[in-house]
Amino acid sequence: MRTSSHLVYLIALPLFSSALLLLLGRIADKWGHLVATLISASAFGVGVSEFIAMHSHTGANRAATQKLFEWISVGNLKVDASLLLDQLSICFVLLITGVGTLIHIYSIAYMDHDKDRRRFFAYLNFFIAAMLLLVLGDSYLNLYVGWEGVGLASYLLIGFWNHNPTYAVAAKKAFIANRIGDVGLSLAIMICFTQFGAVSFSGVKAGASHASPAALTAIGAMLLLAAAGKSAQFPLQSWLGDAMAGPTPVSALIHAATMVTAGVYLITRSNFIFDASSTARILVVTVGVITLLFGAIVGTAKDDIKKALAASTMSQIGYMILATGLGPVGYAFAIMHLLTHGFFKAGMFLGAGSVMHGMDDEINMRKYGGLAKLMPITAVTFGLGYLAILGVPPFAGFYSKDKIIETAFNQGGGKGIILGGAALIGAGITAFYMTRVVVLTFAGARRWKDGSHPHESSVLMWGPMVVLAIGSVASGFLLSAGGALVNWLQPVVNASNAVGGKELMNPLVVSVLALGIVALGAGYAIIKYRTVPEVAPENVSIFTEIARKDLYQDIFNDAVFVKPGTALTAGLVATDHHVIDGLVRLVGWVIGEVSDVLRKLQNGYVRTYALTMFVGVFIGALILWVVTA
Amino acid sequence: MLTTPTLDYNLLAPILIVLGGALLGVLVEGFVGRAYRARIQIIIALLTTAIAFCWVISIHNLISQAAAVDSVSIDGGGLFMQGAVLALAFVALLFFTQDDHFAPQASALPGSEEEAAAVLAGVQMTEIYPLVLFAISGMLLFPVAHDLITLFVALEVLSIPLYIITGLARRRRLLSQEAALKYFLLGAYSSAFFLFGGALVYGFSGSLSLATIRAAAIVPGANHIFLLLGIILMSVGLLFKVGAVPFHSWTPDVYQGAPTAVTGFMAACTKVAAFGAMFRIFIVGFAAVQNDWRPVFVAISIVTMAGGAIAAISQRDVKRTLAYSSITHAGFLMAGIIALSKAGLTSMMFYLVAYGFATIGAFGIVTLVRDSTGEVNDLNRWAGLAKKSPGVATAFALFLLSFGGIPLTAGFIAKFSIFTAAYASGNIAIVVVGVLSSAIALFFYLRVILIMFFKEPTDDTVTVAVPSFLVTSGITICFVITLVLGVYPNLLFNLANTMTTLVP
Amino acid sequence: MNLLTLTIVLPLLGVLGLAAAPKENTHVIKLIALGSSVITLVSSLLMLTKYKFGVQGFQLVSSHSWFKLFNINYAVGIDGLALVLILLTTVLVPIVVVGGWNEAENGRWSVKTFYMLILVLETFMVGVFAATDVFLFYVIFEAMLVPVYFLIGGYGRGDRAAAALKFLLYSLFGGLLMLAAVIGLFVISIKQGPGSFDVTALSHLKISHNTQDWLFLGFFIAFAIKAPLFPFHTWLPGAAKSATPGTSILVLGVLDKVGTYGMIRFCLALFPEATKTFAPYIIVLSLISIIYGAFLAIGQKDLNSLIAFTSISHFGFIVLGIFAMTSQGLTGATLYMVNHGFSTAALFLVGGWMIERRKSTQVEDFGGLQRITPVMAWSFFIAGMSALALPGLSSFVSEFLVLIGTFTRYPLAAIIGTTGIVLAALYILILVQRTLHGPLQPGNEDTPDLNWREKIALAPVIVALVLLGFYPKPAIHVINPATSQIMAAVQVTDPTPMAGK
Repeated sequence: MRTSSHLVYLIALPLFSSALLLLLGRIADKWGHLVATLISASAFGVGVSEFIAMHSHTGANRAATQKLFEWISVGNLKVDASLLLDQLSICFVLLITGVGTLIHIYSIAYMDHDKDRRRFFAYLNFFIAAMLLLVLGDSYLNLYVGWEGVGLASYLLIGFWNHNPTYAVAAKKAFIANRIGDVGLSLAIMICFTQFGAVSFSGVKAGASHASPAALTAIGAMLLLAAAGKSAQFPLQSWLGDAMAGPTPVSALIHAATMVTAGVYLITRSNFIFDASSTARILVVTVGVITLLFGAIVGTAKDDIKKALAASTMSQIGYMILATGLGPVGYAFAIMHLLTHGFFKAGMFLGAGSVMHGMDDEINMRKYGGLAKLMPITAVTFGLGYLAILGVPPFAGFYSKDKIIETAFNQGGGKGIILGGAALIGAGITAFYMTRVVVLTFAGARRWKDGSHPHESSVLMWGPMVVLAIGSVASGFLLSAGGALVNWLQPVVNASNAVGGKELMNPLVVSVLALGIVALGAGYAIIKYRTVPEVAPENVSIFTEIARKDLYQDIFNDAVFVKPGTALTAGLVATDHHVIDGLVRLVGWVIGEVSDVLRKLQNGYVRTYALTMFVGVFIGALILWVVTA
Repeated sequence: MLTTPTLDYNLLAPILIVLGGALLGVLVEGFVGRAYRARIQIIIALLTTAIAFCWVISIHNLISQAAAVDSVSIDGGGLFMQGAVLALAFVALLFFTQDDHFAPQASALPGSEEEAAAVLAGVQMTEIYPLVLFAISGMLLFPVAHDLITLFVALEVLSIPLYIITGLARRRRLLSQEAALKYFLLGAYSSAFFLFGGALVYGFSGSLSLATIRAAAIVPGANHIFLLLGIILMSVGLLFKVGAVPFHSWTPDVYQGAPTAVTGFMAACTKVAAFGAMFRIFIVGFAAVQNDWRPVFVAISIVTMAGGAIAAISQRDVKRTLAYSSITHAGFLMAGIIALSKAGLTSMMFYLVAYGFATIGAFGIVTLVRDSTGEVNDLNRWAGLAKKSPGVATAFALFLLSFGGIPLTAGFIAKFSIFTAAYASGNIAIVVVGVLSSAIALFFYLRVILIMFFKEPTDDTVTVAVPSFLVTSGITICFVITLVLGVYPNLLFNLANTMTTLVP
Repeated sequence: MNLLTLTIVLPLLGVLGLAAAPKENTHVIKLIALGSSVITLVSSLLMLTKYKFGVQGFQLVSSHSWFKLFNINYAVGIDGLALVLILLTTVLVPIVVVGGWNEAENGRWSVKTFYMLILVLETFMVGVFAATDVFLFYVIFEAMLVPVYFLIGGYGRGDRAAAALKFLLYSLFGGLLMLAAVIGLFVISIKQGPGSFDVTALSHLKISHNTQDWLFLGFFIAFAIKAPLFPFHTWLPGAAKSATPGTSILVLGVLDKVGTYGMIRFCLALFPEATKTFAPYIIVLSLISIIYGAFLAIGQKDLNSLIAFTSISHFGFIVLGIFAMTSQGLTGATLYMVNHGFSTAALFLVGGWMIERRKSTQVEDFGGLQRITPVMAWSFFIAGMSALALPGLSSFVSEFLVLIGTFTRYPLAAIIGTTGIVLAALYILILVQRTLHGPLQPGNEDTPDLNWREKIALAPVIVALVLLGFYPKPAIHVINPATSQIMAAVQVTDPTPMAGK
């Protein structure tokens, strides 16, 4: 394990520029966005150089660490602020800084008219810094700092237009859901410390083999909870849809390409825990499968283009989570899908942004239609991303997604059938709703009013889209050529072999099956949406209804958590005043009453006084008698 | 063969000086013209107490049993109490000098022409001063009395003048006279108990001298029933004087009815004398059977602390409130007797002085708070006093905090030390009830402060009379002592600690 | 003169200076107050030069006989625990003076009196942490209530007199119970040799378990009322509602720490067996405080009482950490006291400025401040973030230490405690949303942003929050020796990892 002194720059640069832009205030309005973009690009540069450096080394020396300072040291709890760059984190570093930079560039144009553009870029830089800390921290506690940091960034960016109450609420919702996940992470850390006396990845890894299965399962479950919160997995998925309130570049960067995939990173990073606990793995795959179907179903009924894409993100991350639960080989495929998804989903979001830009921020796809002619570049780049997500060969998704489905089947037995089957069905639904999006937006007749003049966006915007489109075409092939990524990650996730477990099912069969189902879904969508009513039809099948209502997720949360919580709060407020404080007042009141009685005894008559004295004497004598006798 | 009794005049001097001063005062009443009387009486009274005090200091480390044929025992404990009485009395007398305290002519019916005439003529009851001096002499004799007869004589000598001066208030005379009568009747009643108790004790021991009584008590196998009954009955007389529940009923009425300056004097000095006497009797005479009478005292002390504190809550009259506060303090002070140890005596001495000065100061301030018709004792009309005269309000607040036992006031040190003594002697119940009733008591002390400081002044808010030099100095003395003893208790505490000798 | 004693006395010199100053010229008065508090700060910082780090036991000690017969001494000294709290005090007072520059203007009494009370209070606050003589501690513990009583009752708003009285009665009641315990302790020390109030000497007494339980309760209830711990908390919201921001900062930021400080210094160190007996029950109470306080904070409509209830929740964490009796828990709790001091200060400062501008304490009267007063909004937001223990801000470190320290001994308690993490997010974000976000509420249109004085007052607090968040090492380094000493006194050791490496 070598040490590198440059890692800190990855975090320090964007953090610094973000602080700078915030502190300077309006002064920096003119050039703030340029600085931010430049910084992000330079961070990417550092990342690339580190990647090259890593390549030049072999074996254990590929990973690099940098100790910054002693952070917390109490008793046997010793946590350093130190960074770890290994084969896993470099993937993320490149993705974050790369896609991040592209989206910075895109935003220069996209946020052109917003008077708070500087603040927006400051937030973006802050996010980059936090996200890099998340993937570079060498201990769960360092990771935790980045973990909540990206949560804060996401909160700030979702609520960027927080003068709109619904946006503010959406931001809050996201933060709360994330916090619930964070509780999981902090509990996992606590269990790790109690078990192994360490919270660093290496320390926990070293101890994992000695720990009791129960403990490992507990840690795994808590990590999964954390992942669910950050990656919008069931049951903490409900925030992602609303998070689309944020500016579109944010949705692309944070809520598609990077932050929401942190859960996948966490589980992959903790492979030594999950490898040691089959129960934890069961939980993981269950969550993954539920979410990938959940998201896909929700996606079929959305008319808001961003929400449709968000639902798709949820579902795609479901695939990744599923993969991480499939044992050693799964991690590699999870990361691969994570990377390819990073390209094509970010690309499609930017496309959606470009469309909205051209359509005066109209988001309802039913008001689009036939835009392909007017926005050719957007249409093409979006289309490439579309093919990629469908998993059509040779586009990126084909390499990553099919591998996951295949590995799912390879679990064997009923488990394999269920997981693989679910993944297949998911692919079908994905095809349906993605086709729906494309058809509604780019194909068919125009449905927008004469007021708006759809037009292609400036190069600053379509440039990044093109780059990402290239990624969605080529990344899959490049990453899997000769098991490139799998071998690359081998030292971290120690996948047993490149191909992945014993093959129960011929890859070809899987691909054919998948393609068939995808074709079905796509075809059905094309037929169904030859004509599109401008307002969503009212009398629809119960299933559509359920899908539109996001499978009642919000209604459920509201009924089970929000309403009782509000009632409880009101009750406690009343209790505090009437019972707790009431008791104190009661004591005072009793004393007061007794005092009044005594005052009445003091009636001013000498005879009464004399009598009390006599009674006193009598009682005194009585006590005396009791004592002596 | 009869031997002539020998008297040690040096040791008895303080008592004799005060008696002499009193007689001188009587002569002045007789022969000096009205114009000068008041001034001369004041001077005589202050001088006598001052001289007597100095004399006490000069003899403070002498010990003798035979000062007056065994009936008086001069020792540290006794002399400290005498010094305390004289010091307190001196300060209390400063407040008598406001000429409009006392009825111009006690003999005149309230509201009658004679009274009106007397008021017009500017007549003053200057007899008050010799009466006070007589009371003081009794108070000096009480804590040093060594046999039951002397005790009884002292008790009456200190009581009877008090009965009279209680009835001499210039305003609200009916209330005042009623109070005097009550005090007299109940006082006589309690004296009867005391006398009967003494008789029983004599019957048990065949002697009036405390020493002999002790000797009889420690005889193994003696039947103590008469002794114990006697103790209880005698205690009634003493507890009546200190105003312990259930012998307290007179206190609020008398404190309220008496001229305020007199109330301050009574509250402070009587307690010193009575507790001094009580401690001597119980440790010298009755210590042998302490395990028998202690439970009774514990019970009385507890009901006194709690009862006084609780009853005070619902009072609206400042003098009645202070009366109940003094009852509570009587309960605390009993802890010293219950402890019946050197520490108990020391802390009781300190307590008596600390409490005494705070009390005199407090009542002194009450004499200043007035409206056109005279003193105003209705607390609600004290609202916003701090705005009108911050100085007076602050002083009163300090005395209240001292009563409440807030640290950095003398009252805290007193309470702390006496509770420590009680705890050390194993009477933890006293300590627990003590702190709890202090908490209750604090409520009404703080309420008064709240009224003075945080209530807005209303149009019928009282005014503060411009105090004379003597009065101002009186309040100042009390203020300084309360503060200094709180911050640096060594001054008095070490002295008290060296003066705890009690001749057997 | 001993540097520590000097730090205690300096504010009193300021009081003398104020006494001399003319009543009318409030500006001079404020400058004098500021000056003496800054000088006090300097002298407290100078102590660091004399202080030997990483060493156990009291330092800078000095002792003079005060009340001979009871062997009571003016005895002061500091260990890590006392040092950090004294520094917290001396840092906060100047900030309060600058931040609340005008808050005494419309009080019942003069501005002069206000600052005299503040400085007297500072002397008491420093002294109470420095006292190593139990009697001295008790005296200051009680005496310091009086200035606060007049600060709340004389300069607050609303039903201030009643609030002040309630505060005083609660505290005095606790104090009297403690007095009984102090007396008991002293009597025992007399029986076992030369009576003494020296805390170190007392810690060597042999006290029967039963007696320990009673004495422990005497101390603990007093401290629980101060802290304040559920169910002894009901005085706090009223006081916070009525007090001026400055007073609230000193009451919640420093005074209440005397409670938790006392728990460590006296309850744990003097009564180890009793501590072990009661720890489980107290932990239950602390958990209730955490959750209960959070829920009530969510339910508050008044900004000040909302902040007060968040503090109740935070004090729950502190007490939890103390009675978990692990090095992480104790150090975390101590650090928490400091951090909570700063984050509450930030909340009350900015909240106070918002109220001062809007002339209302009701949360519903605010809204949309983000757009018109960005700096104030940001300050409030950061304060809120530190209240919900966001990583990178100091309160995270302490809260995490408390929880992890608790988990190693009482896992279930820690798990319940973590719900506080979520609830904190709720009460802060709801508050932020209602005050800063959304459309601009009528009545806030021409709200001015923070001026320079306010920025200067706030800056050090924010710096402290961030600095101690990223680099808490110095503080932890100071606290650790004290922690290990306490643990030795209680005779407990950290649980060892279950799965050894």
